[in-house]
Amino acid sequence: MQSEATIRRAGEIPVSAAARYNESIHQDTTARLFLASSITYFFIVGIVALVIAAKFVWPQLMGTIPMLTYGRLRPLHVNGMLFGWLLAADMGLMYYVVPRLCGVRLWSEKLGIATAALWNVIILGAVVTLLLGVNQGLEYAELPLPLDVLVVVAWVMFGANIFMTVATRKYTQMYVTIWYCLGTILWTAFVYLTGNFATLFSTGVNQANLNWMYVHNAVGLIFTPVGLAIAYYFIPKTSNNPLHSHKLSMIGFWSLAFVYVWTGAHHMIHGPISQWLQTISIVFSVMLLIPVWAVVYNFFATMRGQWQQLRDNVPLKFLMTGVVFYLLTCFQGPMHSLRSVNAIVSKTDWIPGHAHMAVLGAFSFFAIAGAYYVVPRICKTRLYSDALANWSFWLFLIGGVGFFVTLWLGGFWQGWQWNNPAIPFIDTVIALEPVWLVRFFSGILMFGGIVTFAYNILATMLGPKGNQSQAALATA
Amino acid sequence: MLRKADYSAPVFVAAALGLFFIGGLLTTVVPPLMDKSWAKPFENSDAAKGVTGKLQPYTEQQLQGRAIYVREGCWYCHTQQTRTLLADTKRSGWRGVDAPISTPDEFVYDSPHLFGTKRTGPDLSRVGGKYDEQWHKAHFRNPRDLVPGSIMPPFPWIANNETEFQALVAYMQTLGRAKNWRPDNDYEK
Repeated sequence: MQSEATIRRAGEIPVSAAARYNESIHQDTTARLFLASSITYFFIVGIVALVIAAKFVWPQLMGTIPMLTYGRLRPLHVNGMLFGWLLAADMGLMYYVVPRLCGVRLWSEKLGIATAALWNVIILGAVVTLLLGVNQGLEYAELPLPLDVLVVVAWVMFGANIFMTVATRKYTQMYVTIWYCLGTILWTAFVYLTGNFATLFSTGVNQANLNWMYVHNAVGLIFTPVGLAIAYYFIPKTSNNPLHSHKLSMIGFWSLAFVYVWTGAHHMIHGPISQWLQTISIVFSVMLLIPVWAVVYNFFATMRGQWQQLRDNVPLKFLMTGVVFYLLTCFQGPMHSLRSVNAIVSKTDWIPGHAHMAVLGAFSFFAIAGAYYVVPRICKTRLYSDALANWSFWLFLIGGVGFFVTLWLGGFWQGWQWNNPAIPFIDTVIALEPVWLVRFFSGILMFGGIVTFAYNILATMLGPKGNQSQAALATA
Repeated sequence: MLRKADYSAPVFVAAALGLFFIGGLLTTVVPPLMDKSWAKPFENSDAAKGVTGKLQPYTEQQLQGRAIYVREGCWYCHTQQTRTLLADTKRSGWRGVDAPISTPDEFVYDSPHLFGTKRTGPDLSRVGGKYDEQWHKAHFRNPRDLVPGSIMPPFPWIANNETEFQALVAYMQTLGRAKNWRPDNDYEK
């Protein structure tokens, strides 16, 4: 194959491969459906997020309505953001990216459309059951069994489509993005089965251990690899720059494949679980620095000499900010697993600060960048407004940083207070009231980011084709 | 060797799953085989060996109460583990007596497990027997009446439903009671 020589040289494939064949072979209906629905859920679940943040400040708010009590809205927020928004957006982007990296069209657009329909049935089913209080009682695995089965079916449909596309590829070498995408599909299958089915046949600490293996790897082996798949494609693509090093990307990928799965028990440091298992999880948690730093260095080196592009390239702003958040959140993670640090931060408000930086700050930023890049192209038009896109970036960034930093400071303080048993527990609650108030206002800013992002994307999708005037106005 | 995985999907799949399964199996399937206390209910009648007591299976009513605890998401804000931290044993303690740490053998009848990840409200692993029914009823109706500054939501639909309320309280009174750790069995009946 003629392109082979260029492919062997690290980093040149992703950027140039897509341009070498006729772009019009792609239909992209599936990608469009997944992106449109996921962004809609981002908006709806964003409202839920604001409500639960408000309940920390005004605990009586909507307090007498069973369906709107905190304990039912929180799982709706978590599941809605993870599966309704982020995973669906990631899947939509994979339906766009993988065919282009393979030089062929998606194996079956019909199967893709059916997958999108089924995914929406699952999310709507989740909304209804969670509000009714149908809850399996396991974090990230709250959905009832019938919906779990549908998730497995949808995942097999997604996986089959992607694997068949890869099997029929024209370019022999698979670019890093494809590894991460295939890895996500394989690992997710087993991680999901462990968290949602194997847990049903166990109790107590054994069940908790399986639950944490799933919870941890839902982030580590679902959102991390698919997020990195997106970053590996869009950072070179949006900056028009070859990837720095193929070797580093291999180190990053294969060390992730080996290291991540060992760390589940670090959710129970100091808890009622065998000490040796805690120690193993700590050792492997610290080793996570290897895949993370390999990947982050690769991205930074790719941008060498090109940082000026950040000034007016909005997708690149989201991507590189996401990389910084990824670096920070993955530095926190290994540190939290150390027994001495864990004794302070575990179970405090620090943890939601950490978790939001991973899922919102890093992986959602990647997905948002992908959506800004992809949607105008599949709609064969220009983005509705570049200025609005820039606004969404600053709203997300300021709101996000306000949220993360406030919760870290508050959580750390809370942890110190807990470690002094002379302080009554209720005083540690009252002490955090200002923290939760700032968190709520940061949430409003982040919600502003969601609104501007969603409006911009949906206006691009629904607007006239070949719309140049609006975009020209906005950039003028 | 892994460079082969760049070109061959089957090699890639084998390597990706192989590496994953080493850690996957060693951390999920092996630990319960190594550590028997994960599956053996707590029981000790010899005071020389430490705190005495016996873990009882849940009754029908307690299970119903536990289901309500799960339904309302109590476990999102209340952990159920007295960790190996001095402060935890004091906070879970009672009238100057430190609570024993939680051990795996106290939880073998728990499904779903309710260890929790976030402590917005106090830990409940040793709450059983500390507060009576009347206290719980008033507290569910409006937590701030009893604990000013609390941010717990009110649960009038439980306080006003006698069957549900009784079941939930019955469950909560079991928490942490497998170990007889209080002097003279100082529990409120």
